[in-house]
Amino acid sequence: MKLHGFVAALAMTAAALAAAPAEEQRPPVTFYKDIAPILFQNCAPCHRAGESGPFPLVTYQDARKHAHQIAAVTRIRYMPPWLPERGYGDFADDRRLTDRQIHMIDQWATAGAPEGSIADSPPAPVFTPGWQLGPPDLIVQPVKPFTVPASGPDVFWNFILSPTIGRARYVKAIEIRPGKARIVHHANLLVDRSHSARRQEIHRGDGFPGMDLIIASDTFDPDSHFLFWKPGSTPPVEPDGLAWRLDPGDDLVLNVHLQPSGRPEAVQPSVGLYFTDKPQTKYPMLIQLEHDGALDIPPGDKDFLASDDFRLPLDVDVLAIYPHAHYLGKLLDGFATLPDGTRKPLIRIPDWDLNWQGVYRYRTPVFLPKGTVISMRFHYDNSDANPRNPNRPPKRVIGGNQATDEMGHLWLQVLPRGAGDQRMILQEAIMRHRLKKYPADFAAHFNLGALILRRNDTAGAIAYLTDALRVEPDQPVALNTLGAALESSGKPDEAIVQFRHALRVQPDYANARYNLANILADEGKLDDAAANFREILAAFPEDKGAKGHLIEALTELGNSSGSQGRLDAAAEYYRELVALQPTNANLRNNYGTLLARAGNLAAAIDQFKAALKIDPSNAAARRNLDLAAKAQVR
Amino acid sequence: MCSARLLAVLALAGVMVFARSPALPLDLSGHAVDPFATPANARVLVFVRTDCPISSRYAPELHRIAAEFHFRGVSFWLVYPDPSETPAAIAKHLSDYRYGWPALRDPEKILVKRARVTVAPEAAVFNSSGALVYHGRIDDRVVDFGKSRPSASRHDLEDAIAATLEGKAVAEPVTRAIGCFLADLE
Repeated sequence: MKLHGFVAALAMTAAALAAAPAEEQRPPVTFYKDIAPILFQNCAPCHRAGESGPFPLVTYQDARKHAHQIAAVTRIRYMPPWLPERGYGDFADDRRLTDRQIHMIDQWATAGAPEGSIADSPPAPVFTPGWQLGPPDLIVQPVKPFTVPASGPDVFWNFILSPTIGRARYVKAIEIRPGKARIVHHANLLVDRSHSARRQEIHRGDGFPGMDLIIASDTFDPDSHFLFWKPGSTPPVEPDGLAWRLDPGDDLVLNVHLQPSGRPEAVQPSVGLYFTDKPQTKYPMLIQLEHDGALDIPPGDKDFLASDDFRLPLDVDVLAIYPHAHYLGKLLDGFATLPDGTRKPLIRIPDWDLNWQGVYRYRTPVFLPKGTVISMRFHYDNSDANPRNPNRPPKRVIGGNQATDEMGHLWLQVLPRGAGDQRMILQEAIMRHRLKKYPADFAAHFNLGALILRRNDTAGAIAYLTDALRVEPDQPVALNTLGAALESSGKPDEAIVQFRHALRVQPDYANARYNLANILADEGKLDDAAANFREILAAFPEDKGAKGHLIEALTELGNSSGSQGRLDAAAEYYRELVALQPTNANLRNNYGTLLARAGNLAAAIDQFKAALKIDPSNAAARRNLDLAAKAQVR
Repeated sequence: MCSARLLAVLALAGVMVFARSPALPLDLSGHAVDPFATPANARVLVFVRTDCPISSRYAPELHRIAAEFHFRGVSFWLVYPDPSETPAAIAKHLSDYRYGWPALRDPEKILVKRARVTVAPEAAVFNSSGALVYHGRIDDRVVDFGKSRPSASRHDLEDAIAATLEGKAVAEPVTRAIGCFLADLE
């Protein structure tokens, strides 16, 4: 550390010496001419009212009050925060200052922060207050705020958001408003299509702690976008065809990194969703390199290496990259080795700092041909020399998702070349690679099972899924998928066992209940089927499929009860049918007929009248009304 | 000749008047206050800025230290050296971060100079006779800008107060504090 500072100081002196002869002719550095353009462009996006910067840097007065501070933090490149090393990947929104800019700030502060002439000033930056992309189509907030304590270590919290949408929507952009910008260091949004995160909440709406989370899903719909927010970032808007789908009932899990500020602070972020009518036609995918299972870092180890290498099964364009480690991470390196042996740098972070982690988007996509090997080389420092070390004295650290555990992930967003959805090929390669690293891994077995099931190889799928459940016997998504595989292979009774097991673990698991209800209906167990469809409708009143199936089952139950002469039971099914379809005139006529047959003429007359009110031309209802009225008189 | 001499004498008198009533820091109502006026076993000045997140983040730790020495005759003062910070903004800062400490504005940097501090947050400890015995960081939690330990491994301010109360010399009387530069304040 000391040595580092010394070298930096020498370098600065050298720069100053080199610059000296020219400086005599050069006019003095002033705020408006030289400093304002740097500040407006690189600092003010965060350092302005209402944003994350602790003080504004938009006027001369603002800057003068922090002149030496600005010089000090830019000199060590703490500000503007930008971790990647120049020359290793060309990223959009690169916030690094040039050496010349840093030198100029230093000269300006040393000269007493001269103001200069306002005539030299570039136009003051114009910022959009609030939502950067304008009013969102939908704003979602967690039910309850979370209160960050006044002091203590950083907090990693997950909020579950449940957007209310009537139909599937395509999301072209999301924007996260952190609520308290100064204490929210970054936020990450994950799509949870099967409510798997809800199981981690003690009470619904509470949220739950954890630095990283795993979302289980039973539809092949792998994450395809980095939904990431960091201070000062403008949310990217996906071009046509690259939007992602949000279905009714999907949850969004917002993972936030919070830093205590010295006083307790309640945080309740909002997420704005921007929809498009242009559906998804391109299918990017996130590839994760990692070897957390091999993270076992002895105390005192100054350079522990974690590596992973993945061979691409097809041509891809890399759109963005996201390296992630916790507090022991030091040098994070990612590169590709092309089939001809050429090495292409993807990213290199020489001094990892979790506080400033981010997603880096390539200015132009990086093409990697089939057969390229993508490599991750992450170095960790578990010694006393690492001030961020969460343990003092250092302790053995293994992989895990708490702040005191360690991680090493290199995520890449890739868009496979070629027409249509190529993600299955990638997914299979990723999972086979994972299985090699972790022969007893749940996720690899499960994903391969789900993948093979889509190819209708039910026997192969059942084998992988059974192996997955051997690792995690109560994993509801795997139970549900195995149920589906068993059903496809003509084993309905075994399938029912799996669906019921999934529902014991997670009673609100709509997909499993749907599968169970359908198979029960197919098996002729209509009452049981209707009960399950009813439960889905109670949770999702807008679910047309469940409603349609419930109507089918009730109609069949009502008619068979009626034909067996069990009129009261039949009337009861019809009463429910009428409640589900109050404006169906024929249905009311049929219900009335049943009521009349059961001897309840007054109620029957009400239904015939209701039918006629909906459809005055309904001849059957009119005749039945006449007959019932006459019968009543008698 | 005569008038010039007179002027010189007047000027001298002016200086003397100024010297007899040295400038003092101000309380939030604008009254001059001398934090050294009342006797104390030890006196602690902590220099802060309302716009400095590093300094605000230390509030809970400062509360802990003040509570520890509550009955031991130590007087704690918060000092705001930024001349542009208004009494209203300071009052809000005090209430936001739950300080029950007396607060002083030090626009003339009288206390800054006496305590030899350069950043916020930085602490200074004076002994019962008003001599500066420690100035520097509160603890070693902040290692550099953007680089913090999960918790402090050395509690410099706390140790300095304890040593002073015991009549011992402070082991490390000067440490380097990391924070917002006071030199930037005019």
